Amino acid sequence: MSVETEHTVVLPNANVVAPSATGAHRIGQMSQFTGLYSRELLRTFRNPWVLVITVVQPFMWLAFFGSSFANVPISELERLLHITISSYTQFLLPGVLSTSMLSVGMFGAMSTIQDKRFGYMKRILLTPTSKSTVFVAKALGSATRGLVQIPVMIVAALAFGVTLGGTPLMWAGFVLALIFLALGFSSLFLAVTASSTDWQTPGVISNFIMMPLMFASGALFPTANFPSWMATIANWNPVTYTALLGRGVVVSGSFDWLYLGYVAIFAGLLVLAGTLVGRKYMKVE
Amino acid sequence: MTEDAIVADAITKAYGSMTAVDHVTFRVPSGGIFGLLGPNGAGKTTIIKVLTGLSALTGGDARVAGFDVRTYPMEVKQRIGWVAAEVILDDDFSGWENLWLQAKFQRVSDWKGRAQQLLDYFALSEFKNNKVSTYSTGMRKKLEIALALLHEPQIIFMDEPTIGLDPGTRRMLWELITGVNREYGITIFLTSHYIEEADALCSQVAILDQGKIAAMGAPNDLKARVQADYIELETGEPTDEARLRAIPGVHEVRAQGRTWILKVDRSEEFLPRLFDHLKPDLIRKINVEKPSLESVFMQLTGKRIDQAGSEVQDYRKFYANVRRARG
Repeated sequence: MSVETEHTVVLPNANVVAPSATGAHRIGQMSQFTGLYSRELLRTFRNPWVLVITVVQPFMWLAFFGSSFANVPISELERLLHITISSYTQFLLPGVLSTSMLSVGMFGAMSTIQDKRFGYMKRILLTPTSKSTVFVAKALGSATRGLVQIPVMIVAALAFGVTLGGTPLMWAGFVLALIFLALGFSSLFLAVTASSTDWQTPGVISNFIMMPLMFASGALFPTANFPSWMATIANWNPVTYTALLGRGVVVSGSFDWLYLGYVAIFAGLLVLAGTLVGRKYMKVE
Repeated sequence: MTEDAIVADAITKAYGSMTAVDHVTFRVPSGGIFGLLGPNGAGKTTIIKVLTGLSALTGGDARVAGFDVRTYPMEVKQRIGWVAAEVILDDDFSGWENLWLQAKFQRVSDWKGRAQQLLDYFALSEFKNNKVSTYSTGMRKKLEIALALLHEPQIIFMDEPTIGLDPGTRRMLWELITGVNREYGITIFLTSHYIEEADALCSQVAILDQGKIAAMGAPNDLKARVQADYIELETGEPTDEARLRAIPGVHEVRAQGRTWILKVDRSEEFLPRLFDHLKPDLIRKINVEKPSLESVFMQLTGKRIDQAGSEVQDYRKFYANVRRARG
């Protein structure tokens, strides 16, 4: 049936689905997930400033921090870092890639808070979309955003004259470890901010976890030089294992599967725990 | 017999010690426009939240589109559309992309044809690729209704659909709402604190005050219950209740802020008597309310609907206290 109205043309016919009182079935979440995930990516990559910050920040790490030992003789550095390297930037690259995954969760948390404050979370949750789906889509969205940094950093490292070891398969394994790390920390951020609607919360949490997890890890310096309390933190810190895995690939062309397994378990546990927390405590507005 | 679209049975929602909705019971027949009329803070939005599964019920039971909202919230959400009071869209996306996202959330795979028809119907096709941040308020509201219709719901919940709109846009939306109800056969559940909106749109109205239903029925039936006119009176000099009560024909006198509300039989006969008793130059403002949903609300609650939600300062008392304090 079509009806002419004064507003314009044709009104589509509504095929009303008869309700079924016995229809207690699980409603698939794939469509909602792909919608939410695509929305996260489009919002990120359409915003030029987000891209500029994502790209420039790790580049500056390599440029400024990587150059801080430029005048130290390489033999001296090798003695200090307990590894044979061509430059400190080569040592640093896997570490900076790992630490940059620490903060990506902040963006997912901020995007979630924005959705709560502008009411869009209500729009989502008034459709058959579960809170768990929202949580996983946000976590994956912010993890994906972090991955943009990887090719940029590699190009930057090459520009700084760093020689890169490893095979493409080893690099794929290292990238997978970075994805796990980003996913784990994104879940952590989202879980901690699940009940918050305050813009400032993700920044506060970021400051709170960034500093200890960045320095109490093998990302910037070897853990062998740490005092015992800091080495203990570093031994539990997944950033350490991603950095060690990457350093094996970049510096000596070796790959340690145990490190990848450790980071995979970290990601799995945090995604699971985060989803449960999100489902229970995620506020709608 | 068609099943009722919504059945609310003693639904209650409490936030801590504050009961926002208190044992509210009603039925919404399929295919009609049901209006929940009440002042700000009466509990209208809370009722929408509990009926749509967005917020858990504290007590009572509700069935929406044939499903229990406690047990089958997802099934309910598949069958309802929602239009927010504050117009909620993703401003970073175009109108078409907002429809695409809604289709993804509602799991509608074959959505493009229907989306285009809706855009044509709402005269938005020309702007479909523009970011919604560039849309006028009326366009945004129309797009929001298109989003609510995309998955062919059985019921649309509209929370204060015309709040903050200019009169022209409001009338345009009224036409759209009645058009959607008539042509799509969709039940519409709307909340409003605009008397004329409920009167113009709704086949059934429930009047809500402080979380409870004060009256319910067809607007004309409700109006027929009021066997009186109400006169709102604001005087330039202080006057007292006894003086107003003394005027023949006054059944009831209530003070609301600086205004007196008088219940009388017929205002045409009463007004000359009022002018005899009060000097006309004493009267600063006078308003006659013939039987309407507003007078129904006044009769039930003793307040005007647009003032009931906010604390009305009694300036006369305030200034009297100031004068006393000065000695």
